Amino acid sequence: MKTRIVIAAAFLALAAALVLAARPHEPTADERVDRITAELRCPVCQGLSVKDSPSETARQMRDLVAERVREGKSDAEIEAEFRAAYGDWVLLSPPIASWSGLVWLAPLAAIAAGLLLATARVRGGAPINVAEPSAAQVAALRERVAREEAAEG
Amino acid sequence: MSAGDLGAAALRAALFLALWGTGAAAYAAWRRDARALVSARIAAGVGFGLVVVAALSMMFALATHDFTILYVAENNARETPTLYSIIGLWAALEGSILLWTAILAGATAYVAFRGTAAIPRLATTALVVMFAMLTFFLLLITTPAADPFVRLALAPENGNGPNALLQNHPLMALHPPLLYLGYVLTSVPFAYALSSLILGEGGDRWLVATRRFALVSWALLGVGIVAGAWWSYAVLGWGGYWAWDPVENAAIMPWLTATAYLHSVMVEEKRRLLRTWNLALVIATFALTILGTFLTRSGVVNSVHSFTQSAIGPLLLGYLVTILVLSVGLLLWRSGRLRDAGAIGAPLSREAIFLFQNVVFMAAMLTVLLGTLYPLIAEAVSGAQLSIGGPYFDRVEIPLGLALLFLMGVGPQLPWHGASRATLERQFTAPLACAAAGALAAVATGTTATAAVLTYALAAFVAATVVQEFARGIRARRALHAEGALIAFANLFRRSGRRYGGYVVHLGIVLVALAIATSQARTVDAEKTLAPGETLAIAGYTVRLSALRSVHEPQRDSVVADLEITGNGSGSQLHPALVQYPSSASAVGSPGVGAGIRDDLYTILAAYDQKALSWATIRMRVIPLVSWLWLGGAVVGVGAVIAALPAPRRRIARQLPLAEAPAPAK
Repeated sequence: MKTRIVIAAAFLALAAALVLAARPHEPTADERVDRITAELRCPVCQGLSVKDSPSETARQMRDLVAERVREGKSDAEIEAEFRAAYGDWVLLSPPIASWSGLVWLAPLAAIAAGLLLATARVRGGAPINVAEPSAAQVAALRERVAREEAAEG
Repeated sequence: MSAGDLGAAALRAALFLALWGTGAAAYAAWRRDARALVSARIAAGVGFGLVVVAALSMMFALATHDFTILYVAENNARETPTLYSIIGLWAALEGSILLWTAILAGATAYVAFRGTAAIPRLATTALVVMFAMLTFFLLLITTPAADPFVRLALAPENGNGPNALLQNHPLMALHPPLLYLGYVLTSVPFAYALSSLILGEGGDRWLVATRRFALVSWALLGVGIVAGAWWSYAVLGWGGYWAWDPVENAAIMPWLTATAYLHSVMVEEKRRLLRTWNLALVIATFALTILGTFLTRSGVVNSVHSFTQSAIGPLLLGYLVTILVLSVGLLLWRSGRLRDAGAIGAPLSREAIFLFQNVVFMAAMLTVLLGTLYPLIAEAVSGAQLSIGGPYFDRVEIPLGLALLFLMGVGPQLPWHGASRATLERQFTAPLACAAAGALAAVATGTTATAAVLTYALAAFVAATVVQEFARGIRARRALHAEGALIAFANLFRRSGRRYGGYVVHLGIVLVALAIATSQARTVDAEKTLAPGETLAIAGYTVRLSALRSVHEPQRDSVVADLEITGNGSGSQLHPALVQYPSSASAVGSPGVGAGIRDDLYTILAAYDQKALSWATIRMRVIPLVSWLWLGGAVVGVGAVIAALPAPRRRIARQLPLAEAPAPAK
């Protein structure tokens, strides 16, 4: 009974922590700039984001995003401006609503297919009740291990 | 005779011996001819010696700046320091393939001498495969496209020097060889697997014979990847360690399948299940190492690592296709003999968790593969230019990683076949309580990212299961053998190294997960243009630009910012710089990193006044727990060594019927 209470309390605490962490909060301007620039590709780097890149070009793009945020533009508007200027190429995470949506679908399909195949191989139904070893069995086992390890030296 | 002539001759002689060895080993395997086997062994041993001679002559030519050799002229200069001259062997394509070939020749010699002594027929057939692969690489390296010893008619006064990024940090001495060792050693399990298929052995002899090889190559690959992340962190100057760059992806893919294999192999050993699957994983791991080499060496994808491109692409592609066609063909042909002996147990059994874990690892690998190739495919099909970078991979791989952390805590706690309710309660009550404590601690310290909170919870969960396992193991040994706690602890490693070494590896992975989650969620940035004497405050640190000076060294010119760091109990100096090598068009950033167990202060000299050195733009990141990543990598390595060391004697308990029952209750 005590165990059950501990388990229930642990699950409650976990859920509470997750809800607390995920509670909505209004992002600050800096957080918005970070979030937007993390999605934009630095045009002069090897696959680095505008947020991460130390290059001059990336610095100017960060300043531009900060300016747009100050002007009160929404995240979507800012993103659209960069897409218009550079094409979809500037997004490090391809948009779902185009035929590049395939790249999002494929991992989901892979994991779904894999889980289906795996589950088909796993014996269905409730977990079987494996008998716990009895005290006598445990004692016999201990004795045997001790004996054989003694023989082993 | 110059070093270049010696090396070139040695490679050609080695090619002849590899061809001879392939034939001799094939004859020995077919006719069970002992004399042919001896001949193949000599060919393997002498061939290995010759390739080593070739590699050493290249190192000698680099160290003595012998610019009559094209490779040396392109990748070395008189000013290059000796260490970076010598490790110039892996600074570009031709030398890298020479190193690769040398390791492969070593592995071939190992199979020829040690392998064939243990299991003659299986290993002799595997030796044929090893020799055939070695022949391919020696052919590759003696074609003009990849020949490291191509001569120049007229030696230049001085060479170009190595790529700037490759002479900026001593980790260059460690990261590529570790990774190459990991890559190449996957060929040994592959050769045995192929041999087992060729001979039509239904059993798992190949797997038992190469278990240690698989573990060692996996560990080298893993430690090599972490060393690469560390190098990238210390050199590339953006304050990160992983960018989902195509070469990083190429390295992580075989590691993912190899990790899946190390676990599913236990299902085959214990339960005689998943035979075809394990063969497929070994083949996939090996093929992915070749695919990675092809992708990054042929110039089809751009990467920080594609420092050289060459015409060997089609040859590597042909090699890869041959391997895939042969292996898959053999697998289909022999699938009739690979029937499993029974069914997987209940969903809450260890083998079922291993199976689910395999599914997640495969999905993770396929995502990396798809994400790496998709821009290429999209451009070829529709001409569309698109990018797949960090944000995409993070979105897909982080949930998969969390699932793997969870399974890592669950799997080792479940018995084979299935678990009873009592077992579940006994195994998971304490870890669940720890998981809750971990999540609450994360929220209490201000973590808001859900993925990070989950990582803390799962890290606490896994760590608790490991501690619980050790505590029970020690208690059992103390009860049975009246040992002291410390002796019992050491004996767990000595007697069941594979199991407890594996737990140490899991703890290393926990450290890595904590480092990634924390550094991703809680890094703080700041950037400011400072005149000497001015300061910038960030996350409790105060940074003062005390001086900006230019430094001249024989091989490079630098501008260095001297920074004084105070606050958070530190009082140190950091020196980020911009370094100009004669061979590169633009300056390379060299970050100043103040490493600590709590956080790293990462400083970059982003720009400076080129006329009077009167101001500098300093970019700074405070990156928490990032050093735990390197520490975690080291712990993984130590755990792998413990797991690979042979036990003093095969454990007797294994043959006992109740051996798989959890540690005896009190």
